[in-house]
Amino acid sequence: MSLSTRLLPVVGIVGIAALAACGTTTTTTSSSSGGGGLSSCRGAITVATDLPLTGGDSTDGPPVQQAAQLAVEQANSKQTLGGCTLKYVSKDDATVAANGHDPVQGKANLTALSSDSTLVGIVGPFNSGVAVAEIPVASQNHLALISPSNTNPGLTQVGTNPAIDTASLYPGPHTYFRTIATDTNQAQILAYVATTELKATKAYAIDDQQTYGRGLRLLFEKFFVADGGTILDPGANSLPSATHDFSTQVSDAQSKGAQVIFFGGTSGTGCGVLRSQMPATLTELGGDGCQDGKFLTDAGSNGNGAMATSAPDVSKVATSQQFNTDFKARWGADAYANSPYTPYGYDAMNILIQAIKAVLVSNGGQPPADSMTFRDDVVQQLHQTKYSGAVGVTAFDQNGDTTNTGFTLYQVAAGAWSAKEKLVVDTSGKVSVATS
Amino acid sequence: MADEVVTPVGTQAPRGRMLVDQRGLSPRAHGGANRPGAVAVLSLLRGAYTFVQRFFPQILLIGTAVAILLVYTTGGLTLMGEQIRNALVLGAIYALVAIGYTMVYGIIELINFAHGDVFTLAGFYALFFTTAFASALGGLATGHGGLGLVVALIIVFALTMTAAGLTGVLIEFVAYRRLRDAPRLAPLITAIGVSFLLEGVMLVKYGPDNIPTQDSGWITGHAFTLGSVVVEWKQVFIVVIAIVLMFSLGAFVRATRLGKAMRATAQDRNAALLCGININRTISATFFIGSALAAAGAIVYSINYNLIQWNLGYRLGIIAFTAAVLGGIGNIVGAGVGGFLIGIIYVFGGQLAGGQWSESLIFAILVIILTFRPVGLFGVDVTTRA
Repeated sequence: MSLSTRLLPVVGIVGIAALAACGTTTTTTSSSSGGGGLSSCRGAITVATDLPLTGGDSTDGPPVQQAAQLAVEQANSKQTLGGCTLKYVSKDDATVAANGHDPVQGKANLTALSSDSTLVGIVGPFNSGVAVAEIPVASQNHLALISPSNTNPGLTQVGTNPAIDTASLYPGPHTYFRTIATDTNQAQILAYVATTELKATKAYAIDDQQTYGRGLRLLFEKFFVADGGTILDPGANSLPSATHDFSTQVSDAQSKGAQVIFFGGTSGTGCGVLRSQMPATLTELGGDGCQDGKFLTDAGSNGNGAMATSAPDVSKVATSQQFNTDFKARWGADAYANSPYTPYGYDAMNILIQAIKAVLVSNGGQPPADSMTFRDDVVQQLHQTKYSGAVGVTAFDQNGDTTNTGFTLYQVAAGAWSAKEKLVVDTSGKVSVATS
Repeated sequence: MADEVVTPVGTQAPRGRMLVDQRGLSPRAHGGANRPGAVAVLSLLRGAYTFVQRFFPQILLIGTAVAILLVYTTGGLTLMGEQIRNALVLGAIYALVAIGYTMVYGIIELINFAHGDVFTLAGFYALFFTTAFASALGGLATGHGGLGLVVALIIVFALTMTAAGLTGVLIEFVAYRRLRDAPRLAPLITAIGVSFLLEGVMLVKYGPDNIPTQDSGWITGHAFTLGSVVVEWKQVFIVVIAIVLMFSLGAFVRATRLGKAMRATAQDRNAALLCGININRTISATFFIGSALAAAGAIVYSINYNLIQWNLGYRLGIIAFTAAVLGGIGNIVGAGVGGFLIGIIYVFGGQLAGGQWSESLIFAILVIILTFRPVGLFGVDVTTRA
């Protein structure tokens, strides 16, 4: 029914790709800074990003792209790969028709990138819906795909999202990784916030019919019920993402005695609009899709008290401060101003570069002759990752999910989001407040 | 198809035979008509069809009443009251938009698919005027008590409705006028084209996200509390303005010269022409009024929801179109009543079945009306033309 089906898709822009190559300089042989026996290495190895850069996603996507590009430029100037250089390609998976990220465009980008035999890995995609379309292509082509922001657990964990057939996403080897914690972790934390911190026993849930929103909402329901709470409308009130009127649902929730209304979705699909129609006595709780400036604009004077979890606030971690200094120097803007995912994109690209370096070293300082072998080796190395970067220490479990599982709880106070605390989940699913 | 719907019950026989043939049960070949089972099923279906067709208004009204009662029994008086309030607010907006569809259809038999986008565009006009004169209008609306607010609202309504009305006239002049005597499909296609064009322009100009409006804070506070149902002033305003505008329009069409010309043109364009009526001017006036009412809908929308978005009119337009069809397309009173009915069905359907079913329910009703009773609740017999 949405307009997106009526307009023609528009091909994404590959604008910044040319600019990225400027980072490379002459090949000096005296490199001792990072080359480590790679001084004889020759040739260009391609890495890429696939992120939404235009349209409705143009706030979150571009800084992540810039962070990844920064990582490539730094590696080239430090000669991390010795005599070899990194070539960087940027793809945009947003289309005018989809008003932002578009799975069809994402799949087309991946197919195009796969045909480049010098390409060994990609950072992206940004959105879980795009990942569903891209992961099979990456898997078939043995390409490492590292997402800085896909939180949908159905992408890697079988049976966690009824809308995703996880097994069918991997026709080839498992080449997908992510540096952000999953919605399973996020939902566990949200359920903990609802039951333990807000002391709620009854919650009303609404979602936006999207992969992310509906997925997070169903997970929240599962963990909220497991924690002893009751969902007043299990599975129902899944509304089109363009919904502006939530009056029916708000009246229903109040009549049923809800203490919390959970919104599975983003501020673009109604998180803040819902808040503007809620009485102050009810608390709105949402995931990382809600925690942004758009929410505050939409919610207006009603925003105060709303809560949302989001990517951990890493701005105080020392390595992340160094990253932000570098980011500001390169791009003239604060890395965290528009997106909490920026450092995750930076780390994702650095992890990819480290894996490439490890392959080169173990291969006697040269890229493997066969491009497929090269790609396979990079994926192998990624499974061994233990990388200390801007967001802390990242390692991947057997599913490719990060073991760094924290989320920060934010609340709107005096018209702005303020961080309350960082929450972490241990492997048994127990949530606790992080001390650091 | 259209003829059969208005045919008396006695002539149903050919219909049944057609059904049998389609299912490969030709009486001659298989003796199917003599099978008691098949005959019984068919006559049952035929009976049900005739029943629904004949008692459609009653079935719909009883169904709606039952839905409201169900909400009362399951959720109590407060919930029922709140949902009726929500339904009236939503219904008022649908009604204002539905009138534009119905007027245009009544006079030139065109489903003006651009109408929903004229609604959205009018929302942006209102945003433009309230932003351009932000300090003057905002100050007037919020700083000078009731009178200032009324003056500010009159200014915004007048400016926006005029601008939207002129847009409607322009669209008719550019995209529909030359196609007035063309096959019916041609103007329908240009209507869809205009719809795309307007959406594209708004998307490029205002971006994909919803945009907060300036006039949302003008009407504030609680008007009254009925039982424990809190009714806000802006909700009262929306419903009242819709009803006032609809009655004014009704009086205008009934009592004025231009209104008479509209009715004459709707009835028989050539005869009206022979009587000396300026057809072009009359049709332009129809587009002006329809678009102006959609503009009123857009202003109350922006006041109520504090936002406007480029693709807003697409969904809302189709729902309002359903309201026009429900009331009987071509019938102004029908569109008003249909708008409020659709509001009730949307809200109470959402309450009972879950919000995910609201829109499906509306469009199911669209299919049912078109199948069983294309004339709608109050419609004149336009089936031969539709």
